[in-house]
Amino acid sequence: MSHFLDRLSFFKKQVEPFANGHGIVTDEPRDWEDGYRKRWQHDKIVRSTHGVNCTGSCSWKIYVKGGIVTWETQQTDYPRTRPDLPNHEPRGCARGASYSWYLYSANRVKHPMVRGRLLKAWRAARTTRSPVEAWAAIVENPETRASYVSKRGLGGFVRATWDEVNSIIAAANAYTVKRYGPDRVVGFSPIPAMSMVSYAAGARYLSLLGGVCLSFYDWYCDLPPASPMTWGEQTDVPESADWYNAGYLLIWGSNVPQTRTPDAHFYTEVRYKGARSAVISPDYAEATKFADLWLHPKQGTDAALALALGHVILREFHLNRRVAYFDDYVRQYTDLPMLVRLVRRGDGYVPDRLVRADDFIDGLGEANNPAWKTVAIDADGTPVAPLGSIGFRWGEDGAWTLEPKRRDGSDTALRISLIEDGATAPVAFPYFGGAATNGFVATAHPDVVTRNVPIRRLALKDGETAVATVFDLLCANYGLDRGLGGDGVATDYDQDQPYTPAWAERVTGVPRDQIIHLAREFAGNAEATRGRSMVILGAGVNHWYHMDMTYRGIINLLVLCGCIGQSGGGWSHYVGQEKLRPQTGWLPIAFGLDWSRPPRQMNGTSFFYAHTDQWRYETLKISEILSPTAPEGDWSGSMIDYNVRAERMGWLPSAPQLQQNPLGIAAAAQQAGQTPQDYVAQALSSGQLSLSCDDPDDPANWPRNMFVWRSNLLGSSGKGHEYFLKHLLGTTNGVLGKDLGVEGRERPQDVAWHDQAPEGKLDLLVTLDFRMSTTCVYSDIVLPTATWYEKNDLNTSDMHPFIHPLSAAVDPAWESRTDWDIYKGIAAAFSAICPEVLGRETDVVLTPMQHDTQGELAQPYEVSDWRRTGAPPVPGRTMATVTVVERDYPGLYSRFTAIGPLLRKLGNGGKGISWDTGHEVEFLAALNGTVRAGAAAGQPRLDTDIDAIEAILSLAPETNGEVAVKAWQALGKITGRDHTHLARSKEDEKIRFRDLVAQPRKIISSPTWSGIESEKVCYNAGYTNVHELIPWRTLTGRQQLYQDHLWMRAFGEALVTWRPPIDTKGTAAHQGRHGNGNPEIVLNFVTPHQKWGIHSTYTDNLLMLTLSRGGPCLWISETDASQVGIVDNDWIEAYNSNGALIARAVVSQRVNPGMVMMYHAQEKIVNMPGSEITGQRGGIHNSVTRVVLKPTHMIGGYAQQSYGFNYYGTVGSNRDEFVIIRRMNRIDWLDGTEPAFQQPAFQQKEVVR
Amino acid sequence: MARTFRALAALIAYPTPALQAATGDIAAVLADEGLVPATLCAAIGGLLAELAATDIYDLQERYFALFDRSRTLSLHLFEHVHGESRDRGQAMADLIALYREHGLEPTASELPDFLPLFLEFLSMLADDEARSLLAEPVGLLQVLAERLTKRDSAYAAVFQALVAIATLPAVVAAPGTTDLSDDPPDDPDDLVALDAVWEEAAVHFGPGDPTDGCGTDRLRARVRAAARDATVA
Repeated sequence: MSHFLDRLSFFKKQVEPFANGHGIVTDEPRDWEDGYRKRWQHDKIVRSTHGVNCTGSCSWKIYVKGGIVTWETQQTDYPRTRPDLPNHEPRGCARGASYSWYLYSANRVKHPMVRGRLLKAWRAARTTRSPVEAWAAIVENPETRASYVSKRGLGGFVRATWDEVNSIIAAANAYTVKRYGPDRVVGFSPIPAMSMVSYAAGARYLSLLGGVCLSFYDWYCDLPPASPMTWGEQTDVPESADWYNAGYLLIWGSNVPQTRTPDAHFYTEVRYKGARSAVISPDYAEATKFADLWLHPKQGTDAALALALGHVILREFHLNRRVAYFDDYVRQYTDLPMLVRLVRRGDGYVPDRLVRADDFIDGLGEANNPAWKTVAIDADGTPVAPLGSIGFRWGEDGAWTLEPKRRDGSDTALRISLIEDGATAPVAFPYFGGAATNGFVATAHPDVVTRNVPIRRLALKDGETAVATVFDLLCANYGLDRGLGGDGVATDYDQDQPYTPAWAERVTGVPRDQIIHLAREFAGNAEATRGRSMVILGAGVNHWYHMDMTYRGIINLLVLCGCIGQSGGGWSHYVGQEKLRPQTGWLPIAFGLDWSRPPRQMNGTSFFYAHTDQWRYETLKISEILSPTAPEGDWSGSMIDYNVRAERMGWLPSAPQLQQNPLGIAAAAQQAGQTPQDYVAQALSSGQLSLSCDDPDDPANWPRNMFVWRSNLLGSSGKGHEYFLKHLLGTTNGVLGKDLGVEGRERPQDVAWHDQAPEGKLDLLVTLDFRMSTTCVYSDIVLPTATWYEKNDLNTSDMHPFIHPLSAAVDPAWESRTDWDIYKGIAAAFSAICPEVLGRETDVVLTPMQHDTQGELAQPYEVSDWRRTGAPPVPGRTMATVTVVERDYPGLYSRFTAIGPLLRKLGNGGKGISWDTGHEVEFLAALNGTVRAGAAAGQPRLDTDIDAIEAILSLAPETNGEVAVKAWQALGKITGRDHTHLARSKEDEKIRFRDLVAQPRKIISSPTWSGIESEKVCYNAGYTNVHELIPWRTLTGRQQLYQDHLWMRAFGEALVTWRPPIDTKGTAAHQGRHGNGNPEIVLNFVTPHQKWGIHSTYTDNLLMLTLSRGGPCLWISETDASQVGIVDNDWIEAYNSNGALIARAVVSQRVNPGMVMMYHAQEKIVNMPGSEITGQRGGIHNSVTRVVLKPTHMIGGYAQQSYGFNYYGTVGSNRDEFVIIRRMNRIDWLDGTEPAFQQPAFQQKEVVR
Repeated sequence: MARTFRALAALIAYPTPALQAATGDIAAVLADEGLVPATLCAAIGGLLAELAATDIYDLQERYFALFDRSRTLSLHLFEHVHGESRDRGQAMADLIALYREHGLEPTASELPDFLPLFLEFLSMLADDEARSLLAEPVGLLQVLAERLTKRDSAYAAVFQALVAIATLPAVVAAPGTTDLSDDPPDDPDDLVALDAVWEEAAVHFGPGDPTDGCGTDRLRARVRAAARDATVA
């Protein structure tokens, strides 16, 4: 056929193909260019960042046109790094890049909102009553109160004006302060480092009121208690740039490219430079792609792996061959040479506490704090109390140093081992690995392993005492045969003894040759580079009940290889955001220390454990975790009993503190003719006063008003979510288990039991947020707050050394206000309303013995519970410190908006150092102006968020070089060394807010932190300890591997050991009980950090939802899924005694069998149908969790184990939990659609290949 | 200059006691101006009756649940058009520019694409102009009306009324039904007229013309075109 008719005569096609049809020519209109041009036309570009709980603190350009934020891009003007170090930028990730579209999202909170029924009751009451009377009428009438309390989470909001909501809040606060006491007003806000002024706003209001700020770092289980135990420091870590200086990077339970996205480039870059890397992760996480070696232990068995690595390193680098660098390092910087008392137990000994100078008849010549000076054997064989232990820190000057010296100035060369003496004795070590549940491997070793240890006998005050060095105990503990005979030790890695590689292979599933290989590479690199081996570790290992064991196992590797405090080496714990760099400048502003001290602070975990009544459901008995080698004594009681004892002894804080209103105590004391201190001690002893913790369910002891800001407590971080709903909020909930009373199990000894548990302890829950989070949904009042592009604030991070501003690119949209303005408004309303019932009042505040104060020397030997011994309690020694604080309630607003007189009078400081700061206060008076009249007349103004920022920057050594020099001088007085050279060159540098807006600025070296900022090294923790010889803030002043407190020994954790995950016993009672006909499987439930959100933020952002599965999902292995007929994208339900959650299944080869992963935190309000079991909407990841406390975290009054806010305390672990999983049949969206959607039955399809 | 727009704006704004008191006025304006067809006036009467008779807290709770909490019923027009895409900021900037061109400055703490605000703007324009502007998001208004109908909400009537006003035959003629007989005589030398005929249409609300802009429809069309066998076209 001819092509005649195919040919065109009058046309040619506009679109002619070429390249054999692979290319086409197009001729499109160019109007798309308008869009492009318009994007680059803007009125201004503003620098800001994101105040989310993320360590990024990345610099962004915010484009503004016509008062509208149009978009953002990454800033690229960070100060350059030195040659041979990659630059920090660009910083940012997909989450941050989608933020601007949040501003105008339908999910934005736009107006102040109140629960309709509450507002109606309020307005009705206000027609005839004053504000405080009106509030009283609402909450004292059970029916009215229940009308809104029981509807929490069920909608029913209406808008109100700012004036009206402020009045309600103020009236509620005033009523609560008057009726119950200010410590019934509590607030929760996390991570002050990200938008620290916003945090400070609420904390300042609460602190001036006498209310309670709850800690978050421990509650989030991001606090690794091993850090304060070992270093006396909450957490201090290398910045991400220091990864580039490492020779070996071990990534352990951290997923750097996913959760530290803007920093991950340093990891890539150092790999190109030649660094080797191993990754330890049970699943094939994103970080594993970086690895030369990927080790995948069974989840939760990391401590066993760490012990085996330590076994190899000790064997090959300390015993068979002594590496000189390692040997010198541990002698000078660790407690390994320190002596431990051994006490007789049966035929052998158990390790007791560290020997103190006080144990010697002559006190080794130490008159000041001899009970707090630890002892070692010097090269000449005599006992010596080397400088630097904590006894030298307080009560004397110039002797708290790591210089290897005696008091007389002569040098020491401490002996690490006593093996050359020849004497040995059998010493008992606990072994917990013989019993494991839920499929974790148990090995058949005895629960007490007796090993021979080199000893010496010393003549002490109380007679001849056997002692051993920590090093010798440590080697025995690691099961190393040193030719001393006896059992429980190995010469060979293939022997099945704890903690050989062969043993670890059984427990963890990691082949022994990989363990040996990794240990050799890691330590070999450290030897060759003087400590440039680094471990990056994260939530994957920290969120377990026995996280201390994993952490101490890892820390031991680093310490034994001399990596801590060395550039490119060290412990990089990146869990949570802890580094508020200008901390000492911020503290007085945040906690109102310029007006009154001390503030009320409470450890979050114990608070929520008590007040959400999770203790009523406790399944873990003390006997399950007590050591078989526990010292004699009464170790009975339940978990909350131990917490209450800790509160009673002044170890942990309490909130509320006393059953009686603290505003009435001072008057009662006066009437009794006693000081408040004596009165409180005596009245507690006699029972005239009682501690609230003894009866958390008595209405007198309930927290009544709660503020949540910068947080999604109920949607993201509330472990035991359903218990929160049931007991704290009193609304519909999905708790499936029964409490101890109903179950007839053993009840607490020291805590009152009410058969009927309270439901709805809170009278008022107020949440500030910019988006309608799950927490907002459950609140009584929701206040619209400014977003991160609508306010002025500050961010700092541990990942880089820059301080960064948030700045107001546009005014807050709709009716929103900045957190600073919101709390200022509440303070104003409170000051106006409170005179109805409050005036100037005298408050009595109880505070635990604090770390970094002399109070940390409270209880050197004994643990003595005055309630149980009958001895009179002594404030500050055997019970909390008692302080009288004057409150000016009508003047609260004046105080809020001015810098108070105490800074000038008492100075400023932190971490045990203090300095005069009068000059800075004068500077602020000149800069911000002074208050003309009223309660704060003459004081520097603190009116706006920028005033607060300037105050922080001026007072902090990190941002004011003059203060830095003063701070180093103050420290030098204690250490006897001159440290000022670290800041001298920056003495005239004073960073101000506008400087930061112009460009992020690097902070100045400060003694608040253990690293330095310089042009030669990157920030690295422990650097000043090692290079400036500043002691660690521990009992020994050194990195402490032996924890000698009675409770540490009782629970078998004096030295690191292996403890299998606990049994939370949440599934057995529910298996087969809620049948829907589908097969069930029990799996370990873990909740890692996700890629498409920062916790719950961004999980309601359509862009991020589109990039991910777009709703709640559970990752399950192919093996487990096929066992119970689950295929990818099925709706499945996970449940246990704590509650139920539903999600889509993501069936993936990435996940290891036995474990199910749910990235936290997906909001209950997005794509969430109802549960087949509870009938409630969804359930979130925390619906199946419940916190379990650990007694060793309650220790106080004991050097580094003393309380500090977010520093030490119980932690909210949640990864030991198991859930039952099954496929769902009925997907009910609870929107009234009948019948609900039926999930089609699974049909195996034949796969065609 | 139709007060009907203001009346309808008031109806879909947050209910207040003032609104409850004004239901009579609203009914009167709607009836007087006659822009809303009688059947719909009756339907709106249902909403007015509800507003007048229901407890204000219940009204406000309901409004909050409907319009503040439901993304699919958002009264911010660009929520439906651009969602959380990058184009939203620019679109709002453009809309503000439109208001300013008309000598109006938005003062409320609201975004420019808030429907009651937009309706108030329309109430200050000549009817024809107002109706043609209202016609731009008509697809969207239609969808909202349907969603509200599905929820048995009396608010649906307001959106139906808006659709009715926007689609009165005099303003928008369905494509293909244009009466060619009224076209002015074609003069090939009249360049102004020629330009007017060939001028590119402005970017519209809603899914709009699939051959315009960089929207997903346009991209889809381009991809399809590129994949098409060129010799067959």
